[in-house]
Formats: sequence, C-alpha cells, structure tokens
Amino acid sequence: MNLVVGVGDMKVSNDPESVLITYSLGSCIGLAIYDPVAKVGGLLHYMLPESSLDKLKAKKNPYMFGDTGIPLLFKETYKFGAKKNRLKIIVVGGSQILDQKGLFNIGKRNHTVLRKMLWKNNAMIDFEDVGGSVNRTLRLEIETGQAWLKVSGGEMNKI
Amino acid sequence: MKKIEEIIKEIEKLKPVSYIGDKIMDIVSNPDSSLSDLVGIVKYDQGMTANLLRICNSAYFGLANEIVSIKQAVAYLGIDKVASLIMMGNSADNLSEAQEGYDLTEGELWRYSVSSALLAQDLAEKRNLNNVSLVFTAALLKDIGKVILNTYVKDSFEAISKEIQDNGLTFLDAEKKVIGIDHAELGARVAEQWNFSPAMVNIIRNHHHPDKAPADDLTIPIVYVADCICMMMGKGVGSDGLAYTYYQDIVNRLHFSDVDIQKTIVGFREKLEEIEEMVSLSGG
Repeated sequence: MNLVVGVGDMKVSNDPESVLITYSLGSCIGLAIYDPVAKVGGLLHYMLPESSLDKLKAKKNPYMFGDTGIPLLFKETYKFGAKKNRLKIIVVGGSQILDQKGLFNIGKRNHTVLRKMLWKNNAMIDFEDVGGSVNRTLRLEIETGQAWLKVSGGEMNKI
Repeated sequence: MKKIEEIIKEIEKLKPVSYIGDKIMDIVSNPDSSLSDLVGIVKYDQGMTANLLRICNSAYFGLANEIVSIKQAVAYLGIDKVASLIMMGNSADNLSEAQEGYDLTEGELWRYSVSSALLAQDLAEKRNLNNVSLVFTAALLKDIGKVILNTYVKDSFEAISKEIQDNGLTFLDAEKKVIGIDHAELGARVAEQWNFSPAMVNIIRNHHHPDKAPADDLTIPIVYVADCICMMMGKGVGSDGLAYTYYQDIVNRLHFSDVDIQKTIVGFREKLEEIEEMVSLSGG
C-alpha cells in the first residue's frame, strides 16, 4: 500500500506491505531513513530550513521545517526499534530556480541545515541527489528498504 | 518554421472560454462594473450559480454565515473575487487533462493553476493592487499554452532536455529553440484569440519574463513570484523542473524579503486542505 507523504509531512512505518512515497520535491527536501534489521523506515518532506521563522506554527506542524522535522523522523523510527548506527540515510531535493542565490536559495539552505544536523549527530548520508533545477519523487519500500528516485520527467530508478 | 502556424491553428481545439467568460472578463477589466452586471450574467445559469455558492461557502474563505445568493457572495467577498471564482469555474475544462509532455498527471495542471492563482491573489491583496481579479485570472490561465504545446514537447523531449543540460537553456528557451514557440507566447496567442484584455495577454506572455514588464507594473511580478513559490513547493512542476530564470530584482520590486517568501510558503501549507477542496469544487 502506498503511504503518500505530503508537503510538510512525515510518515514512519514497519508494515512490510507499505511503501512510503513523496511526490514532486522542488526546493523541499525528502529525507528517507531505513533500518534493515528492525525493518522500519520513515520519510520526511520538509519545506523550509529553520523553525525560528515562526515558532508557533512549527509547534503546530514541525514537519514543515528541517530543524524540527529531522529529529522527529529519527525519534519516531527509534520507537519501532531502529538504531541510529544501522540507519540507511537518503537525501533528495533542495532544487533551485536558475540563478536563485543567497538567502533566497531556500533549496540550498534546506540542504545545509540537514548536513549540519547529521554531521553533529555522526550520521552518514548513504545516498544523496540534491540541487540543480529538477524536481524529484522519492519512494521507499518498507519490506526491503529499496528506495526509488524519479527526476523531472524521467523514469523511476532504483537507488 | 511553418510548424508554428500549424501549432497556432490548434488553439481552435481548445474549448473557448464561453460567452459568460467573455462577459466576466469585461467586468474584471472594468473597475466601474456593478453588482447588477454580474448578477445579470449568472442568474440564468443555475449550475454555475450553485457551483459558485459552494465555492464561496468552502473552508478556504472560512465565512461565518452560509452564503445563499450571488448578491450575498458579492457583499461578503467583493465583486472582484466573485468574478474571479466564476472565471475559475469556467476554466477547468481546458486545464484538467493529463499533460504527458510536461509529465503532469490528470488534474495536476489544474491543481497547480488554482494554487498559483490563489497565491497571486493573496500577494496582490497584500500589495493593495486594485486589479486583483486580473492577476488571479492571469495566474489561473497563464499555462494554457502548455495544453497545446504538450504533444510537441512530448515528441521533442529529448532535444529539449539536451538544450537544457548541454547548453544551459531555460525550459522556455528550449521550447522556443526546438519547437519554434514557447508555452508563454502560445498562451498569449490563445488569450488574444479569446479577446482577453491587452493587460491579460501581456501577463500571460511575460509570466516567465517579468524583466519585460514596465518598471511601474506590479501585476506581472506578482504572477511571477506566485509561480516561483509554486515551483519551489513542487506544484505543477513536471518534466520542466525548476528550469526557469529567477529575477531577484523583480522580487525586490515587490519588497519581498526571503522571510516574506518563507512566510508565504508556510501560509500556503496551512491552507493546503482548503486549497485542495477548492480545486475539487471548481472542477479539477
């Protein structure tokens, strides 16, 4: 069964029948994690880097922001028996409109906040396809941990 | 390129925005139009009236009282917004189908068009523009050219991709180079054939080229920024990706900071369910 992760949303599952999928990431980031032993996976689709933009709204929906969504994604998989050192980490998205620079390059800032947080927590990224001016769709099969990526108008490819 | 004439001929295949659409467009373009002009147009079309009232009562507007007449709708939402909504109800037919060349599934172009129009409307209100309905309708219809160009993009997709990847062209420039005309120009030709106002034609033509807008114009920048935000959120983004030019000076012209952009994105996310309801109520 496909569990669709919307914009500013997160889903975690250990149901082998389920497939997590998030469509059309522009400057947003899709972060998928999977523990092959506990066979649990999670997918987060956040839109903006930092919750300091609006703390109240971040409290209402922490999945809109990288700095509040990322820790929650990890914590949620731990509840299902995942261990940090076993997690496979996949990062896609963070695109930009051509010539989008500086503060306005939200795709890049979304990516930076993620790298900083993972680095601080000694978590290594296993696969990354970030940036450019493409859009991406990411899919994660819970039974096998197999992830799939589709880039702008292309086919779904195994990662 | 004789092909361009062929492509332009295909405009006839679109379902023209009906007689009512024309009249609404008159009202949209004429700031002096009155409630009775509007009521006069819709009162004989029960389907349209019923649909309009459903949309006015949808969660997006969050009105406390149920609206039961056009007159009331105008009292609560204003003539401008009601005209926009009628226009929206009239445009779904052309924009709802799948566009394979652009890798958009059924309903995706419509969902995006409505989202982008609502966003543009919000921004126009924030900047106190007096022609909000023009901005809304232009944002809604700006990609009508894609509906015709779709099959050509599909056939030439490899060549278009190559121009983007190898030569760094925008998707728009690649369309023009490979096919002979881009979707914005084609959309403007559609708008001309449908007798839309020159202002509307101009916004559609330049929606990816706000640098061509007159220095004091805010309508094109607003439609452009709403589109950028949609692209960043992945709305309506298909095979073209985000391969369009970003104009920082246009964003500056609207006095939009990065925080403003981010707050608009948050606001959009918060209203997502209401927007989805609006999309389905309006025929997507």
